[in-house]
Amino acid sequence: MRQQIVSAVRITLLVSFALLAQTPPKKPESQQPMGGASTGAPSTYTSRRTAGITDPSAPVTFEDVTDKTPLASFRHRSGEAAKDYIFETPSGGVAIFDYDSDGRPDIYLVNGSTVAAMRGKEKAPRAALYHNLGNWKFEDVTEKAGVANERWGFSVAAGDYNNDGRPDMFVGNFGVSRLYRNNGDGTFTDVAEKLGLARKGWSTGASWGDYDGDGRLDLFVPGYVQIDLANLPPSPSDVNKGGSVGQNYCQFRGVPVMCGPRGLPGEGDTLYRQKADGTFEDVSVKAGVSDPEKYYGFSSAFVHVNDDKLLDLIVVNDSTPKQLYINKGNGTFEEIGYPSGVALNENGREQAGMGLAVGDYDNDGRIDFHITNFSDDSNVLYHNDGDDNFTDVTFQAGLGEVSIPFLGWGTSFLDFDNDGWLDLFVVNGHVYPAADAHQWGTSYAQQALLFRNLKGRFERVGAPPGNALANASPGRGLATGDLDGDGRLDLVINNLDAKPVVLRNVAATSGHWLGLRLIGDVAKKSPRDAIGSVAYVTTGAVRQRQDVVSGAVFCSQNDMTLHFGLGAATKIDKLEIKWPDGSVEAFNVSTVDKVITIAQGTGR
Amino acid sequence: MGDFTDLPRVRFREYCVPRGESMKHSLKLVVLIAALLVAAGSAVAQDGATVLAGPELTRVIPTGFYFQGLSAPTQMRNSAAARFGKDRYVISGLVDTSGYSADVRAKYVGFLITDAPITLNGESLQPGAYGFGFATEGKLTVMDLSGKDLMSVSVTNDKDLKRPRPLMMTADGGGVRLYNGKNYVRIAAQ
Repeated sequence: MRQQIVSAVRITLLVSFALLAQTPPKKPESQQPMGGASTGAPSTYTSRRTAGITDPSAPVTFEDVTDKTPLASFRHRSGEAAKDYIFETPSGGVAIFDYDSDGRPDIYLVNGSTVAAMRGKEKAPRAALYHNLGNWKFEDVTEKAGVANERWGFSVAAGDYNNDGRPDMFVGNFGVSRLYRNNGDGTFTDVAEKLGLARKGWSTGASWGDYDGDGRLDLFVPGYVQIDLANLPPSPSDVNKGGSVGQNYCQFRGVPVMCGPRGLPGEGDTLYRQKADGTFEDVSVKAGVSDPEKYYGFSSAFVHVNDDKLLDLIVVNDSTPKQLYINKGNGTFEEIGYPSGVALNENGREQAGMGLAVGDYDNDGRIDFHITNFSDDSNVLYHNDGDDNFTDVTFQAGLGEVSIPFLGWGTSFLDFDNDGWLDLFVVNGHVYPAADAHQWGTSYAQQALLFRNLKGRFERVGAPPGNALANASPGRGLATGDLDGDGRLDLVINNLDAKPVVLRNVAATSGHWLGLRLIGDVAKKSPRDAIGSVAYVTTGAVRQRQDVVSGAVFCSQNDMTLHFGLGAATKIDKLEIKWPDGSVEAFNVSTVDKVITIAQGTGR
Repeated sequence: MGDFTDLPRVRFREYCVPRGESMKHSLKLVVLIAALLVAAGSAVAQDGATVLAGPELTRVIPTGFYFQGLSAPTQMRNSAAARFGKDRYVISGLVDTSGYSADVRAKYVGFLITDAPITLNGESLQPGAYGFGFATEGKLTVMDLSGKDLMSVSVTNDKDLKRPRPLMMTADGGGVRLYNGKNYVRIAAQ
C-alpha cells in the first residue's frame, strides 16, 4: 500500500512537472538526423552519382563478355517490378566453383520467384548451372544436374559436406532451403530433408565451416525477416486504399515504399552441426548463435579472427548490429560484436549491413572485413588490430566518401592486377524503384565499384566510357574466379530482374601469380575441401594471407582456389599452410604463374 | 520486434487526475507536490548517479513508447537508465521509428523519461516523458509527446570515445552523460 501511494505521488509529480515544462518550441535549423539511423541524412541532389560516371583516362580493367556466353539468356526474376514487398528485392546469389573437378571453375546462378509461383499459379523461375568448357564457352547443364531449385532462391554456399572430393551446394531460399549433394556424375540430389538441412523461413548468406574440429563441415545460416505470404505487410500501392496504414507507414524521404526490414519481425539464425552419420542437428541455442534478438541477417562467414585453430564466425545484419562470435572450443561461441568494434561503425551507428568481404588487405597477417551498406551511408572497412579488436578505418582507407551514394551488395577482395595487394570490388543497386523518380542523388541501377589497393589505402579505378564498369545494373550477388585460367581473376554478377554480367579481367598487368587448391586430410580431422585453411605466401618483404572461405560476399560463393598476385616476384620464398586441424606445413614452390594442388600431409 | 506495447497509454491513464475532484482536494495535492518536489530534489542532489545494467535496467525500460500518435517499440539494445539517489530514475532509449512519416523520423529518435527534475547541460527539465531527436546538427532537441519542441541543448563531441554506441549512459561526476554515438549531453539532478 505504501508503495502504491509513493508510486501515485511520483506519477502525479511527473505529470505536474511535465505540464509545467511546456515551453515554446524552437524551430530546427536544418534536417540532419542522427541517432543510430542507418540510412543517412536526406539531401536533394541535382544529379545522380551512381550511374553514368565515366573517366576517359581510366584504364580498361574488365570487359563484359556476357553476350558471348549462354549466361546472356539467363533472366533473374524476383517478384514484380514495383517491388511492393521486401522479399522481392535482395535475391540473387552466384557461385563460382568447380563442380566436376575438371580444373575449370563453373558458374551457378540463383534465381528468385514470384508470389504467383509460390502459390502454384505460374511457372517458377529457374536457377542455372553453367559448365565451363574453357575458352569462354559454357554449357547450360541445369536440367541434367537437377539444380533448378524453382523456389525463391537467395543464396548459395559451396562445401564438400560429405568429404567425397566433390563440392556440394546449400541453396538458401525464402521457403524451404536445399542441400544439393554432388553425385560425381554431373548430377546433384537434394538431400536437405533427409539430412536435416531443410531450413524453413528466409535463409540468406550461409557459410560452411568445421567449427567443432571433427573434420566434418557444419553450416551456419542467417535468417532475415519473418514474412507470412497470407498476411503481407502494407505496400506502397495500398497508400490510397481506404483504411490502410500506408499513409504514413513505410516511407523513404516521404515517398511510400515497401516496408522493412525495420518494423517487421526479424528471424533468428541457425547453426547446423554435422553428426558422425552425416545428418545435421540444430545446435544454434546451445552454441550461443541463435540470434535471440532476431536481427536481420544477410551475410556470414566462418573465419579465423584470432588465429587460434578454431573457426570464428561473423554475421552481417541489416539495420541492426553485426555479430562477431569467437569460438571457445567447447561447442559454444562468445559474441563480442560491441567490444570488438565490429557491431557498429566508428560513430557508434548501426548500419544496414548487406555484403561481406573477408581478406587481409594490408598484408599484416590478420583477416579484415569490408561490409556494404545502404545509400547515404558509407560502406565500412574494419581493420583487425589483433586481440579481438577492430577499428573502422573506412575513411582513412579511402573507401568512405566515394561509397555514400551507393547501396552496396556483393563485395569481394581480389588482387585483380596481381601486384600482391588485395583490391576490392563492390556491386551496387538500390532497393526502391522510386530512386529513379526523385532527386536523391542515387539510382535504381548502379555502377559497380573497383578499388585499387595502394599498399593499404584504396583509390577508385574509374570507368572508361562504354566499358563494363560504366554500365549500371541492379546488382546483388558477386563471385570471383579465374574463369579462363589466364592468371587474372574474373567476375560474375547476378542482377535483380535482369541478365547477369560476366566480366573478363583484361587488366594490363605484368604481375606474376600463384593459384592454390588445397585438399585437407580427413583422417587428421580437416575437411577435404580445406575450408578453414589459411595459406601464407612470402615474396621478399611481403607476406600475404588467403583463407579458404565458404559464403560471404553477398549470398554468394567465390571460387575456393586461392589466388595470390606476386607482382614482379618470380619465385616464392616461403609457402605455409595452416590446415583446419591447426597443423602447419611449409612447401617449396619451384615455379609461379600456375595453379598447384597441395594435399595435407603429403608434402606436395 | 513488432511488440507494440500499450504501456505508455496505461501510464497516461494513471496520470489523469480524476474528474470531479474538489478544489480543496486539488489544493492539497499541489501543496503535497510542492513539498515532495523540494524533498525529492534535495535528496537527488545529495546523492550521485548510478548507471543501471542487467535486470535493473530491463526492469525500468518500457518496451514501447508513445509519441505523436503512435506507440513504437523500444530498441532495447539501445536503451539506458540511471538512478539518482535512492529511487529517482532517468530512462532513455531509441525507438523503432519505421512506422512514422519521414518528417517525424527526421526529428524523433527516442525517449527520455525522468521522475525527478534534472538538468540537461545545465538547462532544467521537469519530470515527465519526452521524445528527443537531433534534427538540428549538434543539438539534442527535447519534445513533448505531441512533437512540440521544448528545449534544445548543444551536444559535446567526445572524440576520444573508443567504442561509441547508438545510445548509452556513463557516470560523470554526480551526473551522467547521455551519449548518442560520440556526442553527449550531461544530465544532472537539480
